[in-house]
Amino acid sequence: MVEANTFLFNVFLFSLFFNVGISLYGVFVRPSLIKKIIALTIFSDTANVLAIAVGYRGWPSPEQPPIPPVLIGVEPSSEDLGRFINQAVDPLPQALVLTAIVIGLAVTLFLVFLTLQVYRLYGTTDVRKVAKLRG
Amino acid sequence: MRIKKILVLGSLIILVLTISLAFNSGALGYYPLPLPGVRLLASWYLYTTLNPQYPVFTAMSPEAVTAIVWDYRGLDTLFETAVFFLAIVGALALMRGISLKVVLDSKNDNSDGGLSLICKTATKILVPLIIAVSASIALHGHLTPGGGFQGGSAAAVAPLLILVIFSVYFLLSKGVSEKPMLVLRTVGLLGIYFTALAAVFIGLFTGLNAYVFQNQPKFNAPVGLPAQISGALISGSLFFFNIFEYLAVAGGFTLVFILLSVPEEIVKSFVSGETHG
Repeated sequence: MVEANTFLFNVFLFSLFFNVGISLYGVFVRPSLIKKIIALTIFSDTANVLAIAVGYRGWPSPEQPPIPPVLIGVEPSSEDLGRFINQAVDPLPQALVLTAIVIGLAVTLFLVFLTLQVYRLYGTTDVRKVAKLRG
Repeated sequence: MRIKKILVLGSLIILVLTISLAFNSGALGYYPLPLPGVRLLASWYLYTTLNPQYPVFTAMSPEAVTAIVWDYRGLDTLFETAVFFLAIVGALALMRGISLKVVLDSKNDNSDGGLSLICKTATKILVPLIIAVSASIALHGHLTPGGGFQGGSAAAVAPLLILVIFSVYFLLSKGVSEKPMLVLRTVGLLGIYFTALAAVFIGLFTGLNAYVFQNQPKFNAPVGLPAQISGALISGSLFFFNIFEYLAVAGGFTLVFILLSVPEEIVKSFVSGETHG
C-alpha cells in the first residue's frame, strides 16, 4: 500500500523536474531573447521550490503539522525549544532560496537591460538574426 | 531544424527521468521524501537560534532564517549583496551617458499624462501604505518572517506604481532621480560594511579578540553587539544589517526602474553614436 502523502509528494517532485525540462527547452530552443529570459526565471523559480521541498519535513501525524522556523516567544524555555526542534522545518534551504531570489532578480534585471540594448542597437531580439550580423 | 528540436527534446526527457531516478534511489541520502525529521545541521540551527542558556552559540534571534542569512552564513549574504551591487552597476554602465535631466527637460506638453483620476487617487493612498508595510517588514526582520531584502523589494513597488500610473516625469520632478537613489544605495552598502566590522572596531578599542561579521560574544572573542536595547530584542547586528540592506535594495531597484522607463527616443539619440560591433 503506497502511502498517500508520499505519493503526492513524489508527484509534486516529478512535476518540478518536468518544469525544469520545459524551462530548459525554452532556453535552448526559443529564438527570442525575451522568451529565453522568461524561461530562465521559470527555471530558477523551479529550482527554488525544489530547495524548499528538500527542507520540508514530513508530518508526524495529521494533528502535528510542521511549523515555520520562527520561535513565538523571545524567552523560550527548554520545553519550548524541544518542541520547536521537533516540529519546525529546515531553515537553511529557506535562507539559501532567499539569497537566490534576490540574485536572480538582479541578474534578470541585468539581462533585461542587455536585451533592451541589443534591441536598440540591432532592432531585433531574435538570436538567429543577431548572430548573423557583421559589424 | 526538426532533427535539432527532437534531439533537444529527447535529451531533456532523459534529463528529467535521470533526476527523478536519482531522487528515487536516494540522491539526498534519505528516502522517502518528505523526511520525518530535519538534518543534524538544521536542528543545530533551530536549537541555537535563540537560546540564552548557551550565550556563545546563539544568534539571539527568534527567526532562524534571518539568523542564518546574517549570522551563521553572513559572508554568503555579503557576497550576494556584492552580486546585486555588480548587476546594478552593469545596468548603469549600459545606460551610461543618459542624463535624467534631459528626460525631465524633454517633456514639452503640459498635460499630466498617466492613467485616470481613479488610479491616481488610489495610488496616492496606497504608496504611503506600501512604504510603511515594507519598513515594518525590514524593521521586524529579526523577529518575524521578512528582512532587508524582502522589505526593500516591497518598498521598490511604490516608485514602480508611480512610474506606471503617473509618469517618469512626475517621479523625477518629485526629486526621486538618479543621484538621491545612488546616495541611498551607497549609504546602505556603507552601513552593511561598517556593521560587518563593528565587532572588530569594538575589539580594537577594548584590546579584546574579535572577528569580522561577529554578532554575539564567542569563546575566544568576548566582544559582541548588544542583543537587547532597554528590553527590546534587536539581535545584535541583525537589526542593523536589515535596515541597511533595506536602504540598499530599495534604492538600487528604484534606480533600475527609473532607468528602464526612460523614453525610447531619448535613449536612441544617445546610443545611436555607437558602432555596431
